[in-house]
Amino acid sequence: MLNIRTQIVVATVLIIALVIIINMVRQKRLELSYALAWLGVGIGTLFLDCFPQVISWLSKMMGIASPTNMLFFSGFVFSLIIIFVLTISASRNSIRIKQLAQEIALLEKECKERKEF
Amino acid sequence: MKKLIIVPAYNEEQNIEKTIEAILHESKNFDYVIINDCSTDRTRQICEAKGYNIVNLPINLGIGGAVQTGYRYAVKYGYDMAVQVDGDGQHNPEFLDKMAEYLEKNNFDMVIGSRFIKKEGFQSSKLRRVGIYFFSKLIKVVTGVTITDPTSGLRMVGRNVLNIFSRDYPKDYPEPESVVAILNRGMSIAEIPVIMEERNGGVSSISLKKSVYYMVKVSLAILFEKIRKEI
Repeated sequence: MLNIRTQIVVATVLIIALVIIINMVRQKRLELSYALAWLGVGIGTLFLDCFPQVISWLSKMMGIASPTNMLFFSGFVFSLIIIFVLTISASRNSIRIKQLAQEIALLEKECKERKEF
Repeated sequence: MKKLIIVPAYNEEQNIEKTIEAILHESKNFDYVIINDCSTDRTRQICEAKGYNIVNLPINLGIGGAVQTGYRYAVKYGYDMAVQVDGDGQHNPEFLDKMAEYLEKNNFDMVIGSRFIKKEGFQSSKLRRVGIYFFSKLIKVVTGVTITDPTSGLRMVGRNVLNIFSRDYPKDYPEPESVVAILNRGMSIAEIPVIMEERNGGVSSISLKKSVYYMVKVSLAILFEKIRKEI
C-alpha cells in the first residue's frame, strides 16, 4: 500500500503541474496538441495516486515489490514517451526549416533578378 | 542541353574567386550558381561585387542542404544536368565537358569523377583513403556495384536524379549515402578518372575529431538507405 504521506505529496505536485499546464494552454503559450500528452500523464498518475488499490493490483501483476516503485516506474515510462514524441517533432521541424530556408533563398534570388530587369 | 555547375560555398573567401574564374574560362557550356551557405566571412560580398550568380541561404544548412538548394535551383530553371564543383578549388573544371559527354552518350544517371582509377593527382591522406576504401567495399556488399570513389564531391547527375535529389538529399556527408540511394532505385552510375587538387585554403568539413562520427554516421546511413522507404 502507498503511504498516505507519499499520496499527498504526489497529489500536490501533480495538481500544481496540471494547473500550470492548463494555465499555459489558456494563455496560448503551450499548444494544446503538445499539452495533451502532459495532461494525460498528469491525470493518469493522479488517478493512480488517488486509487492505490489499482497500483497494488498492477504491481502484483507485474511482480514489482513496492507499489510506490510502480507509481514512479509508470511516471518514468510516461516521460520517456513524451520525450520520444518531442524527438520526432524535432526531426520533422528540422526538415521543415531546411525546406523553408531553401525556398526563401531561391525566392530571394528570383526577386533580385526581377528587380534587375 | 542546359547544364549547371553547383558551387556550394561556406567561408570560401580565399578560393571562391579563383574557382569561379576557372569555371568561366574552362566551362563555357555550363551555367553556374554559387550556393552561399550563410558564410560568416566575405564570401557573399566578394561574389556580389564581382556580379557572380549567387543564391544566399538565410541559415547555415550544412553541405547537404546547400547542394540540395542547387539541385532545386536546377529543377526550377529547367536544367537537364547538374554537377557539383566544390568552392575550395579541389575540383578541376577541365573534366566537366568530358563528364557531361560521357553521361549524355551512355545515358547514365550519374557520373562520378574518381581520384582512384588512375591514381593521379592529390590522393588524400592515407587515413582517409582507408575510410574511402571501406565505404567502397560496404557499398559493394549492399548494392553489388563497385564505386572506387564514393566520397567524391565531383558528381554529375541527369534529369531523373535531379528530381530525386531536389526532393530528398542527406543533410551532412551526403555523397556515399546518396550513391546508394541512386543504385537502390535501379539507376546507373559510372566513374571516370579525374585529377583533383589539394585544397588551396579553408578547412575541410571533416576534421580528425569528427572523422569517427563521420565513419559511424555514413556507414549506418548506407545500411539504412537499403531498408528505407522511397519519398
